[in-house]
Amino acid sequence: MIMSFSLPLVKMQSLHKSYADGAIQVLKGIDIEMKPGERVVVIGPSGGGKSTLLRVMMGLEKIDSGSVTFDGKPYISSGSSESKTVIDMSVRRSIGMVFQHYTLFPHLNVLQNLILAPCKVRGEAKSKAQDRAQTLLERFGLGAKAKAYPAQLSGGQKQRVAIARALMLDPKLMLFDEVTSALDPELVGEVEQVILQLAAQNMPMMIVTHDMWFARNIASRVIFCAGGVVVEDGPPEQVLGSPKEERTKEFIDRVFHINQ
Amino acid sequence: MDYTFDFNAVSLAPLLKGLWVSLELTVAANVIGIVFGFGLALLIMSPFKLVRLPFMLLVEFFRCTPAIVQIVWIFYCVPMLFDVFLDPITMGVLALGLNLMAFNAEAYRASIQAVPKEQIDAGIALGLTPIQRILHIVFPTAFRASVPVLLTNGIVIFQQSALVAIVAIQDLMYQGKSLATETYRPIETFTVVALIYFAVSFPVTQIVGLLERRRQLLVS
Ligand SMILES: Nc1ncnc2c1ncn2[C@@H]1O[C@H](COP(=O)(O)OP(=O)(O)OP(=O)(O)O)[C@@H](O)[C@H]1O
Ligand SMILES: [Mg+2]
Repeated sequence: MIMSFSLPLVKMQSLHKSYADGAIQVLKGIDIEMKPGERVVVIGPSGGGKSTLLRVMMGLEKIDSGSVTFDGKPYISSGSSESKTVIDMSVRRSIGMVFQHYTLFPHLNVLQNLILAPCKVRGEAKSKAQDRAQTLLERFGLGAKAKAYPAQLSGGQKQRVAIARALMLDPKLMLFDEVTSALDPELVGEVEQVILQLAAQNMPMMIVTHDMWFARNIASRVIFCAGGVVVEDGPPEQVLGSPKEERTKEFIDRVFHINQ
Repeated sequence: MDYTFDFNAVSLAPLLKGLWVSLELTVAANVIGIVFGFGLALLIMSPFKLVRLPFMLLVEFFRCTPAIVQIVWIFYCVPMLFDVFLDPITMGVLALGLNLMAFNAEAYRASIQAVPKEQIDAGIALGLTPIQRILHIVFPTAFRASVPVLLTNGIVIFQQSALVAIVAIQDLMYQGKSLATETYRPIETFTVVALIYFAVSFPVTQIVGLLERRRQLLVS
């Protein structure tokens, strides 16, 4: 065993987050430790704070209190003054995120979408970034779409491009927030396949999904999150198969019922 | 009504000369409107109230007073108040350009604020700095979205340019008026004048319609 193996990749400590100046408490003390190579699926009822949790991890939201360390380095902390959140930008760059809604830049073609950040953020040479982008697109079955504009793609293709775009920055952690929820059912599979492909390469990820088949297949660990706290946390067989908590059980029963 | 139309009396040469002046005014006003309108849009969106408010007032002033009053005011009051004497065409361009600038600033502001928050979030997630997000995501998206409105405003200014005839700029309207007086054929003359304005404006409005339909397809 290498020493670093036991070091957590992510360590969230007592994360609190509210909206509307404290009127809406969304995260009420989240402590999650994630080891390298873990694939954490977050499930839970609507409004339970799953998206908020991922958005905080991506550095898109301020927090009220608590902290996050990433790969042993301080990443997010609530600063000295009330309304200040300190986010380490260099750490943030090693995290990638794909959203529920299509977020490809509509005025750029697929290739340009992929190389924008590598060229602007890392100062990578255009030709080199293009080569990497093309390789990535081929791998995701999108080789022929490099010159297409987002409007010319199906929802499933758009999401696969969005995943490729995030991967261009060589993230050490990927966040997926219901990336198949907006898709027609027949397009869900192709996107999930791409994420499974990443899983096979041991990419650490946090995934929010309502698709229980996908959750079971991708997760190395499942967290049930409701009312702004972690209610249950464990291996997929346990949390999805025979949950200990009553609330988890109710939720799983309900979601499976809908899924079938 | 026993009126015999006689379109032969309407000589096209002076009208086309006038059209050329109208087009010059329109193009120059549009350059001002498109370029400075953008700057003005940034000012009215400034996070600082002290910057934002006076420019918002300026925009509202242009939007809430008749263009003809603005033209007349600039023609008669600017030389007297500021001791600046410009040739009539320049004054016309200035009057129309400032008016258009105000309307275009509103168009830019609306489309900048309509850029979906998700796009910005994606930009942050990709590590783009605030400036990079504005330059590479917000502005290109917003500019594309505002093209139909900019074109519509531009063609409205072409029609508003007829108002400068009142301060003796020899545009299409002015030439039409002189021709009508000379020939005693106001019906024929102003019909032709109207048709010329129409012939220029109509294709542009069609292009706007086309762009809007295409945009609708793109965003859906
Ligand atoms: N920007 C915001 N301003 C105010 N309230 C917000 C904002 N974003 C989310 N909320 C509220 O915070 C709560 C948690 O929202 P969140 O989107 O994190 O839930 P979720 O678990 O992702 O739900 P879903 O399954 O519906 O996506 C909800 O009550 C929501 O209305
Ligand atoms: Mg959500």
